[in-house]
Formats: sequence, C-alpha cells, structure tokens
Amino acid sequence: MNTGLNILLIDDEFDFVETTCKRLIRRGYSARTALTCAEGLTIIESGWPNIVVLDVMLPDRDGMDFLREIKGKWPSLPVILLTGHASMQAGLHGLDCGASDYCLKPIDLETLVEKMAIAHRESCQQGA
Amino acid sequence: MQDHSMSSLFDRLTSLFRSKPRLKPAELQAAFRSHYKEFRSLLTANNNALELMAEMEQVLSGGHSFGMAFIRGNCTALSVNVYKMIQHLNRLADGRYAELGQPFRDVTRQLEQVIANRPVTTEGIAILPMAEVDARMVDQVGEKMANLGEVRNRLGLRTPDGFVMTAVAAQNFMEANDLQVEIIRRLKGLDLDNLEDLYTVSAGIQALIANAPLPKELEGAILAHHQQLVTDTESELLVALRSSAIGEDSSNVSFAGQYRTQLNVSREFVCQAYKEIVAGKYKSQAIVYRQQRGFRHQDVHMCVGCLRMVDAAVSGVLYSRAPDDPRSRFVMIQAAPGLASHVVDGSAATEQFMVSRTAPYGILDFQSGAGQADGAVDSVPTLTSVQAAELAEVGVRLEEHFGTPQDVEWSIDQAGLLYILQSRPLGRPAVVESLLSGGHGSKEDGLPPPLLAGGVCASRGVGCGPVFTVRSSLDLLRFPKGAVLVVETPYPDWASLLDRASAVISETGQMAAHLATVAREFGIPAIFGMNQALTSLDNHSLVTVDATAGRVYGGRVESLLALAPPRPNLMVGSPVYKILVAAMEHITPLNLTDPASPFFRPDSCQTLHDLTRFCHEKAVVEMFKFGERYGFDDKAAKQLVVDAPSQWWVIDLDNGFRSDFDPESRYVDLGHIVSVPMLAIWQGMTAFPWAGPPPVSLRGFGSIIFQSTRNPGLDPGVRSAMAAKNYFLISKNFCNLSVRLGYHFALVEANLGEFLTENYVNFQFKGGAADENRRLLRIRLICDILTEFGFRVEQKADAMTARIEKKPGSFLLERLKILGYLIIHTRQIDMIMGDEGMIAQYRQKIMTDLQTFLEKPETPEMEE
Repeated sequence: MNTGLNILLIDDEFDFVETTCKRLIRRGYSARTALTCAEGLTIIESGWPNIVVLDVMLPDRDGMDFLREIKGKWPSLPVILLTGHASMQAGLHGLDCGASDYCLKPIDLETLVEKMAIAHRESCQQGA
Repeated sequence: MQDHSMSSLFDRLTSLFRSKPRLKPAELQAAFRSHYKEFRSLLTANNNALELMAEMEQVLSGGHSFGMAFIRGNCTALSVNVYKMIQHLNRLADGRYAELGQPFRDVTRQLEQVIANRPVTTEGIAILPMAEVDARMVDQVGEKMANLGEVRNRLGLRTPDGFVMTAVAAQNFMEANDLQVEIIRRLKGLDLDNLEDLYTVSAGIQALIANAPLPKELEGAILAHHQQLVTDTESELLVALRSSAIGEDSSNVSFAGQYRTQLNVSREFVCQAYKEIVAGKYKSQAIVYRQQRGFRHQDVHMCVGCLRMVDAAVSGVLYSRAPDDPRSRFVMIQAAPGLASHVVDGSAATEQFMVSRTAPYGILDFQSGAGQADGAVDSVPTLTSVQAAELAEVGVRLEEHFGTPQDVEWSIDQAGLLYILQSRPLGRPAVVESLLSGGHGSKEDGLPPPLLAGGVCASRGVGCGPVFTVRSSLDLLRFPKGAVLVVETPYPDWASLLDRASAVISETGQMAAHLATVAREFGIPAIFGMNQALTSLDNHSLVTVDATAGRVYGGRVESLLALAPPRPNLMVGSPVYKILVAAMEHITPLNLTDPASPFFRPDSCQTLHDLTRFCHEKAVVEMFKFGERYGFDDKAAKQLVVDAPSQWWVIDLDNGFRSDFDPESRYVDLGHIVSVPMLAIWQGMTAFPWAGPPPVSLRGFGSIIFQSTRNPGLDPGVRSAMAAKNYFLISKNFCNLSVRLGYHFALVEANLGEFLTENYVNFQFKGGAADENRRLLRIRLICDILTEFGFRVEQKADAMTARIEKKPGSFLLERLKILGYLIIHTRQIDMIMGDEGMIAQYRQKIMTDLQTFLEKPETPEMEE
C-alpha cells in the first residue's frame, strides 16, 4: 500500500516515537523520526516529509518557535502539534502559528492517521 | 445539540434569487470549490466539537470515574476545534466574522480560570487512612482503594483497617532517587516485539526501584501509620499490600490483575514490599500496554493500600450474580477455609453456594468441594446458613450501591466478623439489568438466527464490531479499535487489546481464565469455549456478540445493543466533579437558538456551544450567500426530475452531479446525481409509498407535496411558493436537505468522507401541527425511534435534534434512509396522535419498514 504520506515525527520521547514510527510503517506509511528540532530541520530541508508531527516541548528548542520557522519557510507543509501536556493557551497559539491541528497524548494511532491524512489533503488542495 | 430554526434558511434562500449579475458556470464552480473546502473543514471541526461536548456530558451523567487530565484535555481539544471553526468561517466569509474573536477569548479565559482551580483537599498528602477514603479520591488513591474506601465509609461495611500510600508517596519516592531519568533511559530503544529484551529490561527496572532507598520522611510516615494499626492483644501485626494504579486511562479502567498483591507482610518488610509493588508498574505487560497507547510512564502512579490481615477462618469470592448468568436470582459464593487468595488462585477445593437475592436469603443450592478434592467425605459446609445469608445481603447491597453486579473478595475472621477485602464490577451491568427487566432471552422475538451459539459467558454484555482474528503478536499490533477479538486460546497476552475490543470470542477457555477477569473489569463482553469461532466467522465481517446469551449474530442487532441504561455516578460532589460542572457552564448551555432572532450575532455568544452553533449556521448561510455575492443565478438551483419534474431542488457544491451533466440545464435527472448521502435520503423517502389514503405512486407523491405547498391554507407558515421549495445542497459526500412539508420543518445534514473523523448525520425536526399535545407526541415517537437506531437525541418543546458522528459510511447511509423515510411518513401521523392504539400500530409499521433498510445490502457505493 502506498499511502503517499511521508511522515516526520519530531519528539524526544524515544520509546513513544519509535513505537509510533514502526506502527506507521507497518501500515504502509513512510515515517521517520527526529529527537530534536535540529535533526528535524535537516530532514525537512531535504524535502522528504509532506507532513510533520511535532512535540511542543523539545530539548534543544521551543517547539512553537520551531513551528513558526517551519511555517515561515515551508508554508504549505502541514504541521500537527502533539503534546502530553494539555494547555488551551498553547493549543490556540499553535493554531495561530499555522499548525494544522493540536492533539493530545495519549492518542489512538487511527485518530492520528486520520488527522494527518486530513491535514495533508487540505494542504494539497491549497496548492491546487 | 443544535436547534436550527429552519425558517431563516428559507429566508436566505428566497433572497438568493433576487440579484441577477452572473458568473460563468466554470468560474462559479471553481470559486465554489475553494469555499467548499473551508466549509468541509469547518464541518469536521464542528463534528469534533460536538462529540467532545457529548463525551463530557456523558461523563457527568454517570458511570465513569475521571480525573483532571480528562477535563483539561477535553477543554483544550474543544477550544482548539471551536477556534478552527472561527478561522474557517472567516476564510469562508472573507473575514466578516472577525468579531467572534472577542467572545471566544472571553469564554476560553473563563474556562481556563475554572480549570486552573486545582482540586485542593487531599492533594499533596502521601498517606491517607482508610477512614478518610471514598470513591471521590480516585485521583489520589487509585480505583481499587477508592472503591474499598467507598465500601467502608459510605456503605458502612466492615473492611480491614489500614491506610493508602497515595500517588504523592510514589512520586516522592521516585523523585528522591531520580529514578525516572534512569528508567526512561533504559526503556529507550526497547523493541516491544523482542520479548527476551523486554523481560530483561522490565526485570532490571523493577530491581532498580525495589533496591532504591525510601525517603526517610516517607519511611517514617509509613511506619508511624503502621504502628497505629497495632493492638495490644496480638503478638505480631501482619498486613496485606495491594496495588491500586491510577492514570492509565482517562476513564480509569485499571489494568486488572497485572499488578502485585503481597500478603502476610510483617513490620520489617512493609517498606520493601511497598517498593516492590511500586516497581510492579514496570511489569512487561504493563510497559507494552502503556507504550502502545501513548501513555507516559511517569503519568501513571502506583498507589498501594496497606491493610491489616484478617485472621480468616473462612474466605472466598462472592459474585452478586452468577458470572455466566446475569438473570440469576441468586448470589454465587465460593468459600474455602483460610485466606481468600486460596480461592482466587484456585489452590483450595472450594465449596459453592447459591443463595437467594431476597430476604431471608436462603441457600438454594450447595456444591461441596468434593469434585476436586479426591475422596473427601461429606462434611459440614464451611459457611453456616446465617453467614451465607449475611454474605448474600452484602452482595446485593454492594451491587445496588455501585449500580453493577460485583465481584467481591471477603473473609470471615475467627470471631465470625465479615470483612470485605475488595469489590469490583463483575461485568457490563447495564445490559444485564435491561435483559432482566425486559424479559429478553425468554422470548427473543425479532432476533435473527445466530451465526453461532454456545460456549460459556466469560463476561456479560453485548458488543458489535468487525471480526478480527488474532494469532500472533503481529496481529496484536494491527488490531483495529472497536473490532471483535477472535482467538483460539485466551492467552493473558491478549489482555492489552481488551480496551480496544468491542467483544471477545475464544474457541477454548473458561470463565476463570485471566483474560476473562480482565474482560469483566473492562466491561467487554466475552464468550469462551465457542467451537469453530475461527472457521465460521469471516475476518472483517460485522457481527453482534451477545455474550450474555452466548450467541453471535451477523450484522448489527440494534435491539440487543440498545439495552444500556447509565450507571450511577459516584464522583458527584468530588472536587474534580465540581470543576467539570463549573467548566460545563462555559461550554454546553445554548443561548443562540433562533437564527432569525436579532440577537443571533457574535456578541451574544456566551459559551463554546453558542460559538459552534453560530459558526455552523453562518457557514451554511455563507454557502448560499456566496451565490448572491458572486452573481449566482437561479440556474444554480436545478429542479429534480424523477419521471416528471418534482418539487425538489438541488444545488451542487462540488462534484454532486455526474460529469456529463449539462450545467446550463434547468433540470437535473435523478440519474445525474452522484451525491452518496442524498441518494440514501432519497431512497428512504421513496422506498415505501405514502400510506395514507389514497395510496400514491412516486409521481403522485410529488404531487401531494406540490398540492400542499400550493395551497397556503394548509399551512399558515408558508409565506410564498418560493420559500416552500425544498432544497438539497449537495456534493459528492455531503448533503444538506431543508424540507418544509406542510406542517413541519426538517433538516438533514450529512457528510460521509474518507475518514471517520469527518462523518456525521445531523437531523433537526420542528413540528407545526395545530394541537400542541399531538405535536409533542409525534416528536417523542420520532425521538424514541431514532434513539433505537443509535442517534443521540435532544428534545426541547416541539423541536428536536438527533446526531450521530464518526461512524462508518455504511452505518450512516442506513441512518439517512431512515431519516428520509421519517421525513415523509411522519407527515401523516400527527393526525392520529390522539389514539394510543393507532400510535402503537404506526410505530409498529414504521419499525417494520425501517428494519428493511438495515437488511437491504444495496447501498450506494462509497467513494474510495
């Protein structure tokens, strides 16, 4: 199955991000992981991903700040924020900064997959 | 949830046809498409928001325990979705709703203040005596201990004295040794599929925790509380340490049986035993369970109860109803001399008592343990009839208090005093109660022949979902949420799937298997020992599992699934509950009910529900007004042709017509329509002829509508022929139908997208018959019918809203046919609503007709 989604997961929770990545690959998605913003940026610059799932709290940099950079340089690349700490302020701020969605852990893989597919579809239509 | 006034939509519609400047059809279509994209995104956010609100209301009304994480998470997700709706509406309307920003900021600020009020009470306390614990303290002591405290302090039953080392204690312990960092390091890179690796890491972490020293303060506090349990008379105080985990699920379903209990612990080992139980959090199955569901290990807290050991003369397990027969009129008691654990782990030959559930609680049946213990001579039963009666009475009381049959561990000490050691739900009680009261099972009328029958009921209840066979751990990872788990053997390994499964069927196994216990704890219906389940059930086929009756049916059997009244809410009055109530004041009340009102405007929005309501209404209106602004000509609304021109009009938003349709045509043939939801509604509308006299053909059906709209005398509400037009606003996957049929308004809106997240059906109905009483009776009848078919229904006076979201397309198409049918066929019935007999007769006819929609396989093809 080729789903057409190249998913980049940026999250410093290694176990979670690795498990999720593996499960996505098993379902036929292309997925890669980055544990820091710097690593993530390198992969984005390579042009590989067409969707990014970004943790808000990362060791090397503020996730929101990184989100703004991504949306500044690659406005049509959809970014979904995924965090373990629910915050209304952060959620709304994230949308203002251009995030496609703001989701909370724990999240079902099905739900995440749907949210990614929808965000991806919307970004494609924007370009059309 | 919503209460559309249909009239405003019609006012908007009439205004559509006034302006005349034109846009070419192709340009119009392109512009429409980009607007439609925003519209669709708005509908998806609306769908999410309404679902979240419903979930929060449901939690308030009973059944589940919940913590602050649930409230915080849902409020955040809700405000994010409402904010998205506002953003999409503004894009749809070129920024003309910027004023929504202010009320939104006001509501979310208030909401945030409510959530910031953390519950005070016992937070920060490391140790709580059992005398102070009840069900409201789930967030501090875990579900197991909270329930035991409830038994002791609110029911007044005897439980062992003791105390709980709370979540705070566990956190203090972990933090003092900085254990979390090291644990996370060790878990990094762990391959869950490599079992050897998993066990090694798990054992290492457990040893790490068990060998770390307790903080001096905590150790001192534990020993001080322990000292208070000591009495003068006994030589040595022995305690039991029991795990009680929290934070593993938003609904706090504990991961049953996975954690440890230690019995007969003496003072010198209390602290060590405590650490070992805390370490049990990292048992391999628990690690896998959390990791798969995205729980952070550090958010799960292991609370531990320290309870005085009962010097037991006789102990056992009590089921307030027989586990394999929820209709049982007796309490089932298993008893053996000594400790309860001997009965639980099956190491003692137990006796079984069936005791009546009503006073004087007589013993109905008795089986000695002789069947197991070879050659045992008939001896005196371990329980006297007085003791059996006391136990039965307690079992019934526990069931009544918790609102669900209970699985109770008990001991009777040397002095003859009864102690409750643990009480937890036995199965899915709601179903049981309905089955009992409804007399289902004895009659079984209306049920289709089962695909399979037999086996033993391992956990009661009814579940429905697609069959998913699991044979290996690879299947385990692919298991879809809501599927029916079908296995050959009930291995404990499958336990981690249970909160995702809607039912379990195993070819082998007994009700005492570990998987059965977990199924009961999770409330998942389960049938074990069902022969040929693997060979007779096709993977992915939809089945309904009635574990209570030991039957599996093909498809979805609503009459079985509908039997689920709510459970009582034990959270009422707790600090967390109060916070949710306060938060809901800013969320659910709906102040904007009438779009025609001058107060239907941004600055009137006081709650998140108001904001969703406003955004949704305006978005639909914008899709119409779009035409007005860009020179939408009256050709955009095509008159539907079925044999002859009908009184139905169709506006295509996006790919709702076949590509060879001529956009210049004033008419559209039914064959040119490819809108999946519209075709389903139409099928429902036309499947049965209008039954009132005289019986009419499809063409005649149109003429009846035509006549009623032509004669304003029939309906004082009709202002003009134009306003009475009935519109389908469609795309390939979307349909919004506004109907005014003589005496009532109805609105059906549905989206059947590629993803469950986008799917919904929304139905609104406002009755307009002369006599209020009959009007209400009709509304109630419609509410009843829709509830039976799985809709969430709300009724206010003579207006109702029914909604279903996030269900598969095939399920929603059936519902659309039902709505199409009801729109047409409820016209006649308000006339006869005075007559009870006629109501029953019509109800019967309607239900019979509607059943055919569920069975007919011919549904329009869904878009891939």
